[in-house]
Amino acid sequence: MSTTDAAPPSSFQVDRAAMRHLADAQVNVELDTGDMILNLGPQHPATHGTLRLVVRLDGERVISADPVIGYMHRGYEKLTEFRTYPQITTLINRIDWLSSFANEVPFMTAAEQLMGIEAPPRATYIRTVLTELSRIATFLLFLGEMGLQVGALTPAFYGFRDREYVLNLIEAATGGRFHPNFNRIGGLKDDLPWGWIAECRSTMKIVLDACDDFEDLVLGNEIFRARTRGIGIIPAATGAPYGVSGSNLRASGVDWDLRRDARPYLAYPDLDFQVWTHPDGDSYSRYWVRLQETRESARIVLQCLDGIPAGPIMAKVPRIIKVPAGETWVETENPLGQMGYYVISKGATGPFRVKIRSASFSNVSILPWLLRGVYVPDVITILASLYFILGDIDR
Amino acid sequence: MPRLHKPKMPGLIGGLGITFKTMLRPAVTVQYPHEREAPVTRARGVIALKEENCTSCMLCARQCPDWCIYIEGHKEQRPPRREGGRPRSVNILDRFDIDYALCMYCGICVEVCPFDALFWTPEFEYSEFQIGRLLHDKVKLGDWMQTVPEPEPLEVGAETKGKK
Repeated sequence: MSTTDAAPPSSFQVDRAAMRHLADAQVNVELDTGDMILNLGPQHPATHGTLRLVVRLDGERVISADPVIGYMHRGYEKLTEFRTYPQITTLINRIDWLSSFANEVPFMTAAEQLMGIEAPPRATYIRTVLTELSRIATFLLFLGEMGLQVGALTPAFYGFRDREYVLNLIEAATGGRFHPNFNRIGGLKDDLPWGWIAECRSTMKIVLDACDDFEDLVLGNEIFRARTRGIGIIPAATGAPYGVSGSNLRASGVDWDLRRDARPYLAYPDLDFQVWTHPDGDSYSRYWVRLQETRESARIVLQCLDGIPAGPIMAKVPRIIKVPAGETWVETENPLGQMGYYVISKGATGPFRVKIRSASFSNVSILPWLLRGVYVPDVITILASLYFILGDIDR
Repeated sequence: MPRLHKPKMPGLIGGLGITFKTMLRPAVTVQYPHEREAPVTRARGVIALKEENCTSCMLCARQCPDWCIYIEGHKEQRPPRREGGRPRSVNILDRFDIDYALCMYCGICVEVCPFDALFWTPEFEYSEFQIGRLLHDKVKLGDWMQTVPEPEPLEVGAETKGKK
């Protein structure tokens, strides 16, 4: 009697091609084992929030995995229609809460484009510094947490410790650790406090040292390599059609970074930085690329600090902000990938419609393809290495 | 091909070296209730109200993204300043409540206030066991005024003057 020929009992699609290459498929046929449906989540420590994975298992192998999202849907696209532009900054802080400042930048750029104003160069540079700082904060958490997911507790503490230095910097400049709400249409809320630049320089040294530590502690670890090498491979030809972006796609060898390739935004055209790619596309290379990007971000911050021009931080904007009718699309390279806002304005104080393209939503869409045929412990590793934020998925 | 990591010694030993190095360094944790860090000057902890500056113009209540400010006021006639002048009407603030259970700490109210009646202070120790007690009335908001810090100097190259 063979289970592989029997029709699947539920609506789940069993991919027979994937089944056929399983090494132990023959054993299962002989033992006549049934499939098991396992709910990973919505409350599971390895899912960083309320992501639910309906996993169909054959022994230890995953036959199919179905991400169920939306447990944290807050309806930001709709909420923006009833808010004015300055109020929306507060909301979009909370989309990807680990890199809030990077969320603000594309929306503010879109509003500025529609109004035909441009932020002064000093504001642009400070924005660039804070965006890169939020990228470093996000990635430092990843560098620690990824170790945690493969069973190493030590790097998690180091990651949180080093991220705290960066968050202190963000708090000293903006007033908020997590939700800076520092961007205004036409510039920034306030200038940097006295002594901030010197403090930032010394913190970047801490970050660069931390990266060296992570390289030895995690990347050099044989257990970590065994758990991540060749696990969860995303080929470039598959990742791009699924909409995977950011470091996840660069780890698959696609040399695509919006900081360099998109319509120029912030101070990136003036800066000299390298885009890191890795040809393998497995969990290990995703960690490797993020580690290199953390270093690169620290270098970008140091470059920016050297070149911050003097001058005002706000352009001339009317007291009551009314954005002229029109529509625009602005995309930026956020820590998690491509983030974009399509803003339609009808000339009121608030937008008519905002479409939010968040990186994690597209990044997890590859999960059903990626998790097919892997072992259950590797599911956790792959989820961690994709690095999504639930608020960024559900919005 | 990118440069791949080539460990000089077995990675497990290298990792242990880092944990040992960290062990020799002093701890960075702060034992919170017994010792505390001073928050930065700009930290958005709680909003203080300077009642005499408030004209109950409702700008803050209207601009609040989640409408957590409740203002009630009325006008009173006061005798004219000079002989034969018209009687003045002044705005009296009856109620000014901020519901910190709803507040998103965005600071829009502080920014839009045209009469400098609202200030940020870095105080943060006002948690309550009952959610209703997070509604601070104008007396409690006025008490926070004592904790408003002096504006700090700005970084080199800044053109604008510090706020207030």
